[in-house]
Amino acid sequence: MRDQISKYTGKLLADRSACVDGIAFAAQDDVLIAAGAPELAALAGATLSRLNSLALVAARPSLPFADFLIARAGQGEECIVPQDTETRTFLHDIPFLRRKDLAGDAAPILARLLGNRKGVIVEGVGIVAVGAITVEQSFINYSSVFHSTFVKYLQDVLVDGFLLPGEREAFDSFRQEWLRPLSASGLDFVGALSLEKEEILAEIERVGRYTVERGLVDSFFGNISAVAGERIYISQTAASLDELKGCIDPVPADNSSTTGITASSELLAHRKIYEQTGARVILHGHPKFSVVMSMLCDKKAECAIKDCWKDCPHVRELGGTPVVAGEIGAGGLAKRVPPVIGASGSAIVYGHGVFTLGREGFGEAFAAMVDVENFCREEYFRRLGSTNGSKSDC
Amino acid sequence: MYGWTGKLLHVDLTRGICERREIPTEILHAYLGGRGLGVRLMRDYFRLGPFEPDLPLIFAVGPLCGSNSPTAARLSCVSRSPLTGTIYDCSAGGRFAWRLKAAGLDAVFITGKSPQPVFLSIDPARDELHPAQLLWGKGVKETVAALSERGSVTTIGPAGENGVLFANIMMGEGNSIGRGGLGAVMGAKGLKAITAQGDGTTAIADKERFDRARGDVMRLFRASPVIFGELGIAEYGTPALVDLMAQRRMAPTENFRSTFFADSGNYSGPAIRKECGAKKEGCYGCPIQCKKASAAGEPLPEYETVNHFGGLNGISDLHAIVKANSLCNELGLDTISAAATLSAFGEARGRFPDAAEVASLLADIAYRHGQGELLSLGSRRMAELLGKPELSMSVKSLELPAYDPRGAYGMALAYVTSNRGGCHLRAYPISHEILRKPVPTDRFSFSGKARIIKIAEDVNAAVDSLVACKFAFFGATLEEYGELISAVTGVEYGPESLKAIGERIYLTERFYNCANGFSHTHDMLPRRFFEEAGSAGEGIDVPPIDRARFEEELQKYYRIRGLDEDGRFGDRDLLAELP
Repeated sequence: MRDQISKYTGKLLADRSACVDGIAFAAQDDVLIAAGAPELAALAGATLSRLNSLALVAARPSLPFADFLIARAGQGEECIVPQDTETRTFLHDIPFLRRKDLAGDAAPILARLLGNRKGVIVEGVGIVAVGAITVEQSFINYSSVFHSTFVKYLQDVLVDGFLLPGEREAFDSFRQEWLRPLSASGLDFVGALSLEKEEILAEIERVGRYTVERGLVDSFFGNISAVAGERIYISQTAASLDELKGCIDPVPADNSSTTGITASSELLAHRKIYEQTGARVILHGHPKFSVVMSMLCDKKAECAIKDCWKDCPHVRELGGTPVVAGEIGAGGLAKRVPPVIGASGSAIVYGHGVFTLGREGFGEAFAAMVDVENFCREEYFRRLGSTNGSKSDC
Repeated sequence: MYGWTGKLLHVDLTRGICERREIPTEILHAYLGGRGLGVRLMRDYFRLGPFEPDLPLIFAVGPLCGSNSPTAARLSCVSRSPLTGTIYDCSAGGRFAWRLKAAGLDAVFITGKSPQPVFLSIDPARDELHPAQLLWGKGVKETVAALSERGSVTTIGPAGENGVLFANIMMGEGNSIGRGGLGAVMGAKGLKAITAQGDGTTAIADKERFDRARGDVMRLFRASPVIFGELGIAEYGTPALVDLMAQRRMAPTENFRSTFFADSGNYSGPAIRKECGAKKEGCYGCPIQCKKASAAGEPLPEYETVNHFGGLNGISDLHAIVKANSLCNELGLDTISAAATLSAFGEARGRFPDAAEVASLLADIAYRHGQGELLSLGSRRMAELLGKPELSMSVKSLELPAYDPRGAYGMALAYVTSNRGGCHLRAYPISHEILRKPVPTDRFSFSGKARIIKIAEDVNAAVDSLVACKFAFFGATLEEYGELISAVTGVEYGPESLKAIGERIYLTERFYNCANGFSHTHDMLPRRFFEEAGSAGEGIDVPPIDRARFEEELQKYYRIRGLDEDGRFGDRDLLAELP
């Protein structure tokens, strides 16, 4: 399991979600091992030893948003409730521990909280996430909590402004130093994808890796496909987009085989998009600013619909890209995205992520996703600037 | 009381007495229901032989039953298996569990032996034993039809009456209490059938919380390609796995001599839909509806059944497989053990049975005629009597299902650590090794598998005690089901506390088995899997399992479980530690 710990420590560093000197994992088979930053490793080991699970990560996020969310939370609040669809579906809520509640040994308290939820935020310490059966699972849960707190904090700042001392400065630092320009430059794509299986698989693997490397997904999820004649090649469910070799299912268009039962939960959406648009490839990611902006709606106050993420029937727009609601998998997403994606080549799903397509190859789809995310990023900061980022300026 | 009824029906067949009794609340809280409750109720009886009159046969529902919790209209049947000699439980759906709970019961505890065949009717107003001489000898359909006005029916067929060691107890809707031969236990008691007719409802402590938790579960079902995906089990039933197992080169073929059957496409999910007009059916209130029936309403076979009456016996005729399945249902035979025993028999004599012979042999088994007398003992005893014990593909005498252990090393380990013998459902590693849920693991690696299997066994023991269907966990987790049970009962449970209950149940079962002589010696796969390769193809090699590495992981498993090197408890008096 040490190789797994090493691998996922590397991934946390590569996606810049955790501080270099603030990562620790614990894992247990017949013995318990803990590795990484000494204090966090001790906490991780002591916590995991109290759980009937295989792995645990304790890491200090590279951004202070989780701590800010705790500090901004009202007295008596004990958890953060994610608004984005992905984390809302799988995490439900994220408990937190305030610094003042941490006197003495934190491990028993953490173990109690992690006995009910996949991840916990500990003020001043970081995010602690459990993996029931693999080290990878703890990394995924850490990443989901990081994504969720990122999205929620940006939402909250836009609504309520900066409320805490040092918050604006930290946010400026995030904007100027942590965020990097997003582009597709320097990436190679096959111009017009052939019908050859080997070329298609190699291109899907490569573009999946690009999607992770450019930060267009949380952890490494999302999905990707290409159609060739009567066959859709699509990434498998729970597949790492940066490790797709051997994890791409060929699915016959007529469902004459069920080998693709392991295909992405969005297989139906991909199939419908192909049927309705004639596209060759589809890319689906969870770029953060797109997720944040998709949840802004001017009509929320007067609208009768409360579960906007699944029930909103309206098609809104963000920079020419349609925004629709819809649940993951067999929910509404597969009904609402295909009719709207053809015109612009991209669509945003409320609180979830972005679908883009390419008529010939992945270059177009990737560029479209970058464009959508860049628009949403700029629009976010434009709106923040127009409100001066502050309702009660600190 | 919310969730539970707190009542048990105690039936003494020897004395002809039915009596409703209280179940201590702390026992319900500590063991939930279903498998856990049944295993706890076996504490004073686990040393009794499977056919001793005083051995209880226990039917137990769970606190979620009757609450509209997804997949929870189920029960567990618990006793000691005549096939394996182990403690035994089986989870089953249909409508019977719901009717039983609605009759005001958490469990039925049946002991003794009736001097004449009887059936038991359960009704909120009166629980009664009735003469059943006229039903004895009848098939399942006829028995169900004769009793249907009394409510939902569960019954044995001729196989159970005649003591076939892998006889099922059949639900009227076609579901079965299968594998371990509890039908023979019921038959030995002279009990032909049970009917249940209740109209009560399960009280829910916090309806708002319940609705929220149910919504969370359903959202995860919809997000799961295995459940509600267009190629998933809601569409095609478990035969959706046929194509996948063929592609992964782990479909047991010709008594596990190979792992790929070229004609398996004849009985794939899409083929069954096309040839049989498969339509959706399922357990009461279940949103998945994974069971499939023909246009005429005949239950269609599950994945295990199509593979074992198919490739395992070298048969490619779908209609012959469907017929074999129907025959087993009618006679009250377990399809996996029946087909696997025929396959071992076929290899032993040098010729696998053809479709016509399968049908006649199944009848012979149920009535113990001719060769059926030998086959009715199951593959392990049969192979030993034929002088070829190595041809029984079983663990602890339970025939292995349709996942070749050479193609999934967690499955290999889980087959031997299962407390009821070679079963895929105790830890269900196919979920992560093949179906990638909740996350994928490397199927050709033992790394971490000892811990993973231990955790999964605990989880599934809790699931079997809620009682929920394991298919629900292709989408949901104990987080959501913990919310459901907390909302229903008003008692706080979460994933970790439920796993602790699961561990308690698992260890109790293991303790019972060890007390009855089971040890490391019995935690072993047939030697074929260590010596012969499976079928390579599509870039996949299926080598023999490394025996030393397997043993190393098994010893790790023992250490994680707190067992000694022999897989036993040493001087520890486990039962004294438990509620």
